Amino acid sequence: MMEELVLATETVLQNGTTEESPFLTDSGAAALAVGLSALAAGYAERGIGAAAVGAIAEDDDLFVPGLIMTVLPETLVIFALVVVFVI
Amino acid sequence: MSSGASNTEYVSARVRARKAALFTDEDYRKLVRMGPSGIARFMEESEYEREINELGARFSGVDLIEHALNRNLAKHFGDLLEWSEGRLYDLIARYLRKFDVWNIKTIIRGIYTGTPAEEFQTDLIRAGELDDATLDRLLEVETIEDVVELLDGTTYAEPLGDAREEFEETNTLVPLENALDREFYVHLLDNLGRPQEGPEAKYVEFLQAEIDFRNARNALRLARSGADLDPASYYIEGGVLFDESELNQLVANPDELVDHIADSKRYGNRLSEALSRLRDADSLIQFEHAIDAALLEYADMLSSIHPTSVSAVLSYILAKEREVENIRAIARGREVGLSESEIEEELVIQ
Repeated sequence: MMEELVLATETVLQNGTTEESPFLTDSGAAALAVGLSALAAGYAERGIGAAAVGAIAEDDDLFVPGLIMTVLPETLVIFALVVVFVI
Repeated sequence: MSSGASNTEYVSARVRARKAALFTDEDYRKLVRMGPSGIARFMEESEYEREINELGARFSGVDLIEHALNRNLAKHFGDLLEWSEGRLYDLIARYLRKFDVWNIKTIIRGIYTGTPAEEFQTDLIRAGELDDATLDRLLEVETIEDVVELLDGTTYAEPLGDAREEFEETNTLVPLENALDREFYVHLLDNLGRPQEGPEAKYVEFLQAEIDFRNARNALRLARSGADLDPASYYIEGGVLFDESELNQLVANPDELVDHIADSKRYGNRLSEALSRLRDADSLIQFEHAIDAALLEYADMLSSIHPTSVSAVLSYILAKEREVENIRAIARGREVGLSESEIEEELVIQ
């Protein structure tokens, strides 16, 4: 009885293995991570950029600080790029 | 109401820059020692440069200052409406309608006293929703009936029309002005509901505070004037501090009124300093200044809770209005020869 069961299980497991490629490969997952983080950075920059343009409109000297503040969320994408090199 | 997304970040960044450019305590201290021409010169080197230059040829002295202030106020608040979009526009326009009310009141008063339009048209603050063309047409009419007719289609037509009968019976402006004020405050909280959290909840909280203080001020004025008027007819709904019957009782006793504000959960702790000033204030004017300062403080506090929200805009609107009133008080005070300390008492500085 027990032996039959073990045999049956093995057969099932063998049938389970296929040659299809997995849903996500490692590099596909990494690409997705980079893409999502770029989306997040874009969303963050939307608010900061609007505020920065408002500040620059009031005072031209704020152009450089405004630019720096606006691109700060780009670090998100850089961190996500690390994942690409790690895998 | 306009649709689409709000651009809160943009507007609050610009508003904060402008708020930082307002006159400081230091500036006021300098201004108090100057005469009208000195004040005009000081203003020329500040925010008000363009207005002073434009109007300099036509006016002089205190008139120049006053017109420049009104025009500058209208410019800044017009800007606010121009920048803002979507929901934010709606919230700001709602509050700026108080200038519409002010303008209509000014025009009605002008007609009532038979003053020619040229003399009071500079008192108009063109910052509200009524456009220039409508205001210009309003300046040309000669009877209050025509004013009501011209305003047809705006929210003010109906209450004014209703109040006109009473006005014709009593021949006083009180019913008309009351109708306008009520219309403004009733629409202030329209369709806002009672949001529980987030910037909009704070906006509602601020408007409720304003209504509460307005009620408190009306109650005090009634109490001091001793006139036999029904306080209920001045009561504005929407506040949280008093209900109608409470207010009627408190009118009789200003001290109890202050205690009532101090006991309230919402204002008691936050406004303790202003309230102690309220208690010390012996004259009604000081009392009202303390209320104004309290409202200003309240708006500032709300704007630091939600930095990029309509609260920041509100706190700017209040601070700017205050600045204009302060400068006007200084200029008028110097003109009639008040002493420096007397003028300083008239100022509302945080």
